[in-house]
Amino acid sequence: MTPPVLYALVALWTPAIAALLLAILYPLRKKGQPAAVVAILGSLVSLGAAITLFTDRLHDDATHRLVVPWIGSGASTIAEVGVHVDGVSASMLVVVTLVATCVQVFSIGYMHDEPPEAYGRYFTYHALFLFSMNLLVVAPNILQLFAGWELVGVTSYLLIGFYFKKPSAARAAVKAFWVTKFADMGLLFGLLVLFAASGTFGWEPTLSPPVATAVTLLFFLAVVGKSAQFPLHVWLPDAMEGPTPVSALLHAATMVAAGVFLVVRANPLFEQAPITRSIMLGLGAATALFAALLALVQTDIKKTLAYSTCSQLGYMVAALGAGSMLGGFFHLTTHAFFKALLFLAAGSAIHAVHSNEITDMGGLAKRMPLTATAFSVGALALAGVPGLSGFFSKDLVLESVEGKLGNVPYAVLMLTAFLTAFYMGKVVFVAFFGKPSGEKAAHAHESGPSMSGPLVVLMVPTVVAGYFGATFAKVQGEPYHFAFGAGPATASALGLAGIGLAYAVYGRGPRAAVPAPIAMIDRVAKTRAVNRVYEWGFRNVTLVLADGLAFIDRYVVDGLINLLGWGAIEGGRKLRPIQTGLAPDYVLAVVLGVVGLAVWAVFGSWR
Amino acid sequence: MTLSHVLMLASALFCVGVYGLLTRRQAIAILLSVELMANAANLVFIAMSRFRGGVTGQVFALFSLAITVAEVAVGLALVILLYRSHADTRVDLASELKQ
Repeated sequence: MTPPVLYALVALWTPAIAALLLAILYPLRKKGQPAAVVAILGSLVSLGAAITLFTDRLHDDATHRLVVPWIGSGASTIAEVGVHVDGVSASMLVVVTLVATCVQVFSIGYMHDEPPEAYGRYFTYHALFLFSMNLLVVAPNILQLFAGWELVGVTSYLLIGFYFKKPSAARAAVKAFWVTKFADMGLLFGLLVLFAASGTFGWEPTLSPPVATAVTLLFFLAVVGKSAQFPLHVWLPDAMEGPTPVSALLHAATMVAAGVFLVVRANPLFEQAPITRSIMLGLGAATALFAALLALVQTDIKKTLAYSTCSQLGYMVAALGAGSMLGGFFHLTTHAFFKALLFLAAGSAIHAVHSNEITDMGGLAKRMPLTATAFSVGALALAGVPGLSGFFSKDLVLESVEGKLGNVPYAVLMLTAFLTAFYMGKVVFVAFFGKPSGEKAAHAHESGPSMSGPLVVLMVPTVVAGYFGATFAKVQGEPYHFAFGAGPATASALGLAGIGLAYAVYGRGPRAAVPAPIAMIDRVAKTRAVNRVYEWGFRNVTLVLADGLAFIDRYVVDGLINLLGWGAIEGGRKLRPIQTGLAPDYVLAVVLGVVGLAVWAVFGSWR
Repeated sequence: MTLSHVLMLASALFCVGVYGLLTRRQAIAILLSVELMANAANLVFIAMSRFRGGVTGQVFALFSLAITVAEVAVGLALVILLYRSHADTRVDLASELKQ
């Protein structure tokens, strides 16, 4: 066992041990606080192992594997489980464990008012999530990734529905589960097709072009669901019903990025399918713009961030579609940091104001300076302001899509960069500047150390991660160059323009009169067109189909059984008269039977 | 007297028994018919023993007689019960299970 493998195993198993302890030891879970200690200790050890592993990658670019046979067929092994250590998994492990640790520490304060039992349950789910995510990240083949993929789906369901007594949260959990599960069919069928075609679940088999296209398209369906791309993005805004730290960890930084991670991981497969890549590029860019437009009209701070997440995931998918694995993966990394920061800062504000509406906040900067700083830094990074991490990764994305598909995605993503800056500016100006809009906002005060600590920690990578692009690229074994040319200049100019416009519009607090274009988008958004298509489809396709199947079940399957029963009853009724109850008749029957047997015995050989 | 003569006699006895079984309605007469049939079978056993040698047939005939005695005892008991409940011994009276 080489040291890198050992680090990966430690990173994988400590959260699992924490989750198991919390799941089995009910007294521990019931107490609340000790459960948090166990979960966070597990995450800290995992984080330490991940960082050690990552630094180890700086002077070691060999791939390390430790696998044990899992599914056998005769003497050969079909699939293995274990850990696969290379630049991709090491980088992703650091991102996941760092954000998870920050979020869990933040949760100590954020979930403080929960009853101890719910508190313990919350941290149990968190530990389980971290294990599932790490299982997915270190997967040596697609089958193990699929297992992790489904496990994070389950923990996502559990955490969205954490406040399960609230009907909207329960519905949101079920909706997220349905939508992603529908998409996960793509991954399942994709890996079956892959196995049928290549006999392996590995990452890099060479396939014939049609098979490669089919497999990658099926995988991409799963990516669309998990990473909330149009048209399967509908679950992500609803998932904001979960506690805010959960939104930060699962629905912004890590779990939704699993789709992007899958494409990064299966890059050798996607390289063989140019058609899939073009579709990804188009759909990613479309999602980026579409979600940014919807983010413009949200007044719920978490929903704004949720649509923003969809939009940024669109960037990543577009970059991967353009063939830039590094662009997509680097943006995933920086996005994980600044979006987690944004969500946690939003959580801190929500905790103080007890409302998600930005119009209920206002003027928080004076009373919550640290939260306001953290949110602003995150927003600036997201807007792509030069010098912050988002700037570098977004430019890498833009650079990769430049000139592809008639330059349309490039233009769309540029426009999206502008819109991103605008809606983030709006949130910052309305929620943190201007005058407090109510009693609660006026008396808000800064959150405690467990909540502000993670904000400070996450601010560091949000600011500096961009400068480590070269290191990041080296670990992935990809070439990296960054030149401040026309593209980055345009993008940052657009970003600054967006912030400026936001200041012009919202600089003096929320407006009574909404600007006309935004009002128009709002009207369109209020129609909930995509959701209504699904609702229509559910009513008119799924339910009709279900009714049809129920009809078949009731009248064909059950009908056959009922027919048999009815036949026996009716047959018996018809045959009953031949039983006279008179002994001589029975005797006659016996005699005739004997005579018949005798005749058969004597003459039967004529047959 | 050959084997076939005896077998013909036995067959005739058996057929008489069957005829009686089918046509009679009195329980006693039916029992008598059954006895005829049983004795036709006994006759075959003994005839086989007589013409083929060996005692197996005779032993079987003895067994058969013993069983027939038991059967008649049970049969007559039934007839008595039938008479007690119906004041008659016609078997077609006993069709209560049908009703």
